[in-house]
Amino acid sequence: MVTEFLLSAIIFTPSVVALLLLLMPRAVIRLHRWGGLLATFATFGFALLAWSRFDPTTTGFQLKEAHAWLPRLGIGYRLGMDGISLLLVLLTTFLQPLVLLSGWRSVKERVRGYVVAMLVLETGILGAFLATDLFLFYVFWELMLIPMYFIIGVWGGERRIYAAIKFVLFTLAGSLLMLVGIIYLSFLYHGQSGVWSFDYQDMLNFAVPLGTGFWHSPQLLLFAAFALAFAIKVPVFPLHTWLPDAHVEAPTGGSIVLAGVLLKLGTYGLLRYNRSLFPEAWQLATPLFITLAVIGIIYGALVAWAQPDMKKLIAYSSVSHMGFIILGLFAGTVASMQGALLQMINHGLSTGALFMLVGVIYDRRHTRLIADFGGLAKVMPLYAGAFLITTLSSIGLPGLNGFVGEFLILAGSFGRHPVAVILGATGIVLGAVYMLSLVQRVFWNALARDENRTLSDLSSLEIAAFAPLAVMMVWIGVQPGTFLSLSETVVRRLIGG
Amino acid sequence: MSPNDLAAIVPELVLILAGGLLVLADAFGPRLRPSFGLLAAASAGVALALRWILSAPGAVFGGVLAVDALARFVDSYILAAVVLVALVSVPYLQRTRAAFGEFYALLLWSAVGAMVLAKADHLLVVFIGLELLSIALYVLNAFHRDTLVSLESGFKYLVVGAFASALLLFGIALIYGGTGTLSLAAVALSVRTAANGNALAIAGLAFILAGIGFKLALVPFHAWAPDVYQGAPTPVTAFLSVVPKGAVLVVLMRAVVAFTPAMLAPHWLPLLATLAVASQTLGNLVAIAQRDIKRMLAYSGIAHMGYALVGVIAFGHDGAAAVLVYLAAYTCMNIAAFAVVSAFSESESEQHLITDLAGQGWERPFLSFALAMAMFSLAGLPPTVGFVAKFLVFRAAVNEHLAWLAVVGVLNSLVSVFFYVRVVYFLYMKPVPQRAPQFSEPLWTKVVAGACAVVILLLGVLPGTLLAAAELAVKALVR
Repeated sequence: MVTEFLLSAIIFTPSVVALLLLLMPRAVIRLHRWGGLLATFATFGFALLAWSRFDPTTTGFQLKEAHAWLPRLGIGYRLGMDGISLLLVLLTTFLQPLVLLSGWRSVKERVRGYVVAMLVLETGILGAFLATDLFLFYVFWELMLIPMYFIIGVWGGERRIYAAIKFVLFTLAGSLLMLVGIIYLSFLYHGQSGVWSFDYQDMLNFAVPLGTGFWHSPQLLLFAAFALAFAIKVPVFPLHTWLPDAHVEAPTGGSIVLAGVLLKLGTYGLLRYNRSLFPEAWQLATPLFITLAVIGIIYGALVAWAQPDMKKLIAYSSVSHMGFIILGLFAGTVASMQGALLQMINHGLSTGALFMLVGVIYDRRHTRLIADFGGLAKVMPLYAGAFLITTLSSIGLPGLNGFVGEFLILAGSFGRHPVAVILGATGIVLGAVYMLSLVQRVFWNALARDENRTLSDLSSLEIAAFAPLAVMMVWIGVQPGTFLSLSETVVRRLIGG
Repeated sequence: MSPNDLAAIVPELVLILAGGLLVLADAFGPRLRPSFGLLAAASAGVALALRWILSAPGAVFGGVLAVDALARFVDSYILAAVVLVALVSVPYLQRTRAAFGEFYALLLWSAVGAMVLAKADHLLVVFIGLELLSIALYVLNAFHRDTLVSLESGFKYLVVGAFASALLLFGIALIYGGTGTLSLAAVALSVRTAANGNALAIAGLAFILAGIGFKLALVPFHAWAPDVYQGAPTPVTAFLSVVPKGAVLVVLMRAVVAFTPAMLAPHWLPLLATLAVASQTLGNLVAIAQRDIKRMLAYSGIAHMGYALVGVIAFGHDGAAAVLVYLAAYTCMNIAAFAVVSAFSESESEQHLITDLAGQGWERPFLSFALAMAMFSLAGLPPTVGFVAKFLVFRAAVNEHLAWLAVVGVLNSLVSVFFYVRVVYFLYMKPVPQRAPQFSEPLWTKVVAGACAVVILLLGVLPGTLLAAAELAVKALVR
C-alpha cells in the first residue's frame, strides 16, 4: 500500500506543506521555519523508506506509478526509480533540511516566502529525478525555475537581479529547445509506431533514425537539443558564465541547492536522456564533450585560483569538478560512470558544505573577501577544523569521499582517453593548490585585523547543520560500496546495452 | 424564420434584453446603479447556462448561423469573460465615478456581436457581428469622456476599426462579384472549382484577411493596439484584448476549413506564417521597451495572436483544438492581469507604470500573486495553463512538419520571458518607493483575480477537461 504512492509522497510532501504554510499567517515566523524543516525531514524519511524497499539487483524502474494525464497525447503521470535516481533523491532530500538550517538565522525577512520557495524547488528537483514521462519531466524541470528566480532575486546579494534574470534566461534558452525536441521525439515515435507517447520506456525501445549529415539527422538534432539544455545546467564550458553570478549572488541556502543538486540535474539528464535515447549520437559527440570537459577542469581551476572572493572561488571550482563528472560519463566504462555518479554525490556534499561554511563567516563579517581574513584558526578552531575537513574532501584526500570518485573516474577513463586523463589530473593538482592556499590565507597566517579577533566560533545550530555532511564525507570515503552498489546494476546494463 | 431558429439564439436574446433593461434602469432608477454590474454578470451567467442547457442544432437561419459545438465553446469563454469583466468593473467604475448602466449594456451588446461572429457561416453575418462588436467597443473605449487618453483610445479604435470594416466590406463585395454568393462554403467551392482561379474572389479574400489582421492586431496591422489598450478603461481593455480576438480567430478557422488547407497551402499558409512570425517577433521585442504595463500587455497580445495563428496554420484536428485551448488560456491570464492593473492604478489620466508596482508583492500579496501567476502564464512557464497552450500549439506545428515555426515560437517565448519576469521583479524584488502609491484592493477585483489565478494553475496541472472540450468543439469542424 505504502509503496504505491511512495514516489508521489517524496515529490509532493514539500509542496503540500508549502501550500499549507501559505494559508498560515505570515507573521508567525517560527511556525514557517519549523514547518518547512519538518517537511524536509519527512521527505528525507520517505526517501529512506524508498531506499529500504529498493532492490539494487534488478534493472529497470522500481516503485513505479502510472496514471493517465492527457491520454490521447500519450502523456501520463509516470514515476519510477532506479539506482541512479535513488542516489540523487537521497542527496537532495538529505541536503534540503541542512539548507533550511543554514538560513535559520541569516534569513530574517520574508521567512515564509523563503521556506515556501525552497519547498516548491524541492518538489521540482525530486520530480525531475523521478519522472519517467518526458512531458512530466519537462514540467518538473521548468518548475524549478520560478522558485530559484525568487530565491536569488529576493534574498540574494547586491547584484542579485542581474544574476537571477541571467539564470532564468540561460536555463530557458536551453530548455525551450529541449521542449521542441521532446515534441519532435514523440512525433517521430508516432511515425514509426502509430501511437502517441511521451513515455520514457517507449522511447527506450525506439531507435531514433540517424539519417545523414547534421540537419537531416533526427538523432543528432535531438541529441543537440537535449544536450544544450543539460550542458547549460551542468555547466559545461563555455556555457558556464551564468554560474559564478548565480552562486555568488544567491543566499547561502540557494548556493547549496544550486551547487549541491541543481547542477546534478544536468549530468543526470545527459545520462538518462542523451546516453540512453541517442546512443549513436552520444558516441559521435564523445570527443567534443571530453575536450570541453578537460578545458572546463583546467579553466575552472585556474580561474578559481585567481579569485579574491571565497564564494566565487568555490563557484569556479564547481566548473572544474563538474568537468570530471562529464569526463567520467563520456568515457563510458563501468568504473568511470560509477565514479561520475559517486562524484555527483560527493560534489553535492563537499561544495554544499563549503558554501554553508562561507555563509557562516559571511553572516558574522559581511564580507567574503579572502584578504579580509587570516589567522582565523586561533579564534574559531571548530570552524577551521570543519573547513579543513571539507577542503580535504573536496581535493580528494584518501579516506574521504572525494578521493573515491575522482580515482574511479580517472582510472576508468585512462584506458580510452589517456591524454584527457593526464590533462585532467593536473586539475586535481591545481585543486589542491587553490583550496589549500585559500585555507592558508584565511585560517593560518597572522591574525592581522582587529575585527576578526572577536568572531564567535560555530554555534550549536551551525554544528548541527555541518555534522551530517562531515559524517557522510567519511562514510563514503571509507565505505563507498554502500552507495556504489545501488547504481551498479543499472550502469552495467547501460554499458552492456 | 422558424421557432427553432429563435430558440437557438435565446442566449443572445437574453443579453440584448438585459442590456436594454440596464439602460432603462439607469434612466428611471439611478439608485440601482451599484447593482448594475452584478446584474450584467448575472445575465451573462444565465446566457452561459442557457447555451449549455439548450441543444446546439447546428445550422440555423437558413445556414447563415452555425450554432454548433465550436460556437458553444467560444460562447462559453466569451460569456465567462463578460462575467469577469463586469465584476471587475463594479469597483473600477465606482472609483472613476462612471458607474452608468450604459457601460454594462454596451458590454453585453458587444458580447452579442462576438457571439454572432463566432457562429457566422456567411460573410454578411460576419460583417454584422463585427460591427455590433466594434461599435459598442468604440463607445466603451471612450467611456471616460473627461479623460484625454480615453477619448484618444476611442477615437483611434473608431478610425482604425472603420478602416478595417471598410476593407472587409470591400473584400466581401469583390467576393460577391466574383462568385455570386456570400456563404463561406459556397464561396470556397466556387473558388476551388474555377479553372484558372477566380481573381476577383482571391483579391476579395486578401482584403478580408487584412480586415481580420486589423482586428487581431497582427503585424503589420497592429499599430493601433498600444494606444487603444493604454487609454481605454482598464476593464474594457481586458475585454478588448480577449473577446474580439477570440471571435475573429474562429471566423478565420471556419474560413480555413471551408477553403481546405490543401488549397490554401501554396500561397495563403506562407502568408499567414509570415504574419505569425512577424507578430511574435515584433510584439515581443517592442514589449521589452515598454514602461506602461497596459502598453506592454498590448504588445504581448500582438505576440500571443502570433502564437495562436501558428495553430491555425498547422491546421488539423490538433491545431484547431490547440487554438481553442490557447484562446481560453489567454482569456484567463489576460483578465487576471488587467483585473490587477485596474486595482493598481491611482488615476486613469496617468500612465500605469510598471515601476509603480515596486514592492507591492509584499504589501498586497494577494493581488500581486495573481499578477505574478498571470505573468508566468503569459510567459508560458509550467505549471500554468499558458504553458499547456503553447505546448499544444507547438506540438500541432511539429506534427504538421512545421517544426521551424515551433522553434521560432520558443525562441520568441524566451525573449518574452524577459519582460514578463520584469513585472515580477518589480513586484517582489524592489523596495516600495518613498512616495508609496495608494492602491485599493476592492473585493470584486480580488475575487476575479484570485479565481483567474486558481484557474491558471488548475488548468496548468489538469488540462484534460479543457483539452477534451476543445477537441469536442472542433470535431464537427475538421476531419
